[in-house]
Amino acid sequence: MSFLVNKFSFTNPRWHVFSRIIAAIFGGYASATASSLFISLLLQPIAGKYQAIHIGLMLTFFVYACAVMWVFTVTSASRAWLGLFKFNAFLLIGTWLLLQVNS
Amino acid sequence: MKDNFRQSMKWLHTWVGLAVGWVLFFMFLTGTLGYFYQEITRWMEPERPLVAHHYSNEKLIDIAQNYYDKHGAGDIEWDIILPTVRDNNLRVGWREPRKEGEKRSRYKVKVIDIDTASKVQTRETQGGRLLYRMHYRLHYLSTSLSYWIVGFCTMLMLLALITGVVIHKKIFSDFFTFRAKKGLPGWLDIHNVLSVIALPFHFMITYSGLLFFLFTYMVLSTDLQTNEEQYKEMRKEIYPRAAHIKSIGEAQDMLPISTLYQQVKNTNTWKADELSYVSVSAQNDINAQVAFVRHETDITYNPQDTVVVNGITGEIITQAALEYTTAGMIHNGLFSLHEGQFAGTIARWLYFFTGLIGTAMIASGLVLWTTKRKPQQLKKPKGPDFGYRLVEQLNIGTLIGLPIAIAMYFYANRLLPLTMADRANWEAHVMFISWALLLVYPAFRPKTKAWSEQLNLATVVFIFMPILNALTTNKHLGITLSHGDWQYAGFDLTMLVIGLTFAFAGVKFKKAQRNKRSQRVNSKGRPLNINTAVESELVLNKENRGAL
Repeated sequence: MSFLVNKFSFTNPRWHVFSRIIAAIFGGYASATASSLFISLLLQPIAGKYQAIHIGLMLTFFVYACAVMWVFTVTSASRAWLGLFKFNAFLLIGTWLLLQVNS
Repeated sequence: MKDNFRQSMKWLHTWVGLAVGWVLFFMFLTGTLGYFYQEITRWMEPERPLVAHHYSNEKLIDIAQNYYDKHGAGDIEWDIILPTVRDNNLRVGWREPRKEGEKRSRYKVKVIDIDTASKVQTRETQGGRLLYRMHYRLHYLSTSLSYWIVGFCTMLMLLALITGVVIHKKIFSDFFTFRAKKGLPGWLDIHNVLSVIALPFHFMITYSGLLFFLFTYMVLSTDLQTNEEQYKEMRKEIYPRAAHIKSIGEAQDMLPISTLYQQVKNTNTWKADELSYVSVSAQNDINAQVAFVRHETDITYNPQDTVVVNGITGEIITQAALEYTTAGMIHNGLFSLHEGQFAGTIARWLYFFTGLIGTAMIASGLVLWTTKRKPQQLKKPKGPDFGYRLVEQLNIGTLIGLPIAIAMYFYANRLLPLTMADRANWEAHVMFISWALLLVYPAFRPKTKAWSEQLNLATVVFIFMPILNALTTNKHLGITLSHGDWQYAGFDLTMLVIGLTFAFAGVKFKKAQRNKRSQRVNSKGRPLNINTAVESELVLNKENRGAL
């Protein structure tokens, strides 16, 4: 019984790895998407609407890769989640501000 | 994850690589074969004549036009594909009218025998195209599912490449440290050398691979920023293509295409004998246009290699160069680099070899995972873990098994009855059934035995391929070589070389095993009574612990 408890309790390090993997896949994807919105709005005055969107999208894979690497670098899974949350919030607020400025 | 950044990245590199290594190996290998898909198809359609023709382009165009007039689908778009270095045959292609129950009409290419001006009846096969399509459109899965799986794996490949560079601070000085012949460092060095030697290619092929389905993968972002109308407009800006010519329904006879070609040849933009294909739009309509396309040498998809003429008057229609945005130029340039359509013979082989280096890089990484853990795993009282055994089994079944399975695809092409129903699909089934068997097989054998047996099998099937060809067709190496049909002969010769490479690997493998055994015997002074491979490895590792 104690074996089972140990296996499924959240102190088992495997859960932390699992949590990081989920953070990396979905948090990373969210960061990539948010970054593309931010970059495209940032570039729109210079590059034109479609090209700005295009550049934002083309860079997403690198943002994604960096986000995943970061998730596995920090000391704990909760830090990774928190960090991703902050990063996404920062980008989305930035996007919103740019939307206000552009319009 | 770990104590420091580099350790964490090493951990990530290891597990990311292992998670999708086999799928990546499959994608790299089939994609690499794609660089020669036309040549593979030619071998798989041995009914095509050996061509050593002396016809002029005009004559070939006439033959093609006659054929189309008799057998074609009417006044629509169709193409004449002239013999090139990649394919000696004259081909005519058009889109068949859509049949009932089909989603879209199919573009079909017919091979024309130049001497008899009739269609060559080739066996039913999907040829090299099937292999090349599989590397992004996984065979038995639905299109969108396979795009997402392929995208996920490619993303992890990109991650593995970046982390791989990061963990090697001294990546370039390490490159010159090659310690062959020692168990672990040997494999690590091989992995490093294969990675560094073609690093720009690995990055290019991985990143451009992701770009192919950019809007599929980043669908959320695309949908948030564009509506359907804008999305179409954006795609037009990113992928500019020449306008499509439609017939307006006023019939008018065209000049013969060979006459038009002669007119084009007299213009100063044309270089002699460079015609690659002819594309006819709106045939026998007042809008008729004929495009003469030279061999693609430009990586930007710009149609400066194309001369378009009015089909009725023969007037040259000047085409505005396609306008790319800067990002679009990079995007399309990467596509072009990925596909390598512009590559001539030497560049094509270079592509092929760098592709194989990428494939070998993945393979060596997967092998490295097991060699690194082997000493520790073999010390376990109950034998190696399930995970370790699974990895080793998948390694044997994929790294050696997949090449054998692909060989079986070629065997099926020669050995399945020509009249068999659904023949083309069965060629593919044979490949996947063989692969499945080879994946399961190592479970029932000691691993060292399984490695050496599959290596031997690979040796035999590849070396036997030219013989199989000689037995089942009338075009063996002696004939193809003396005819100078290098596409056909090249395939046979390449198979032979691959077979010899597997033979070499097999010999090396046996030698390494024998060395280990003799080491064991010498140090104990007497041969050991070995019950299982595991046990013998255990003894060996106790002895070698100091060295490792």
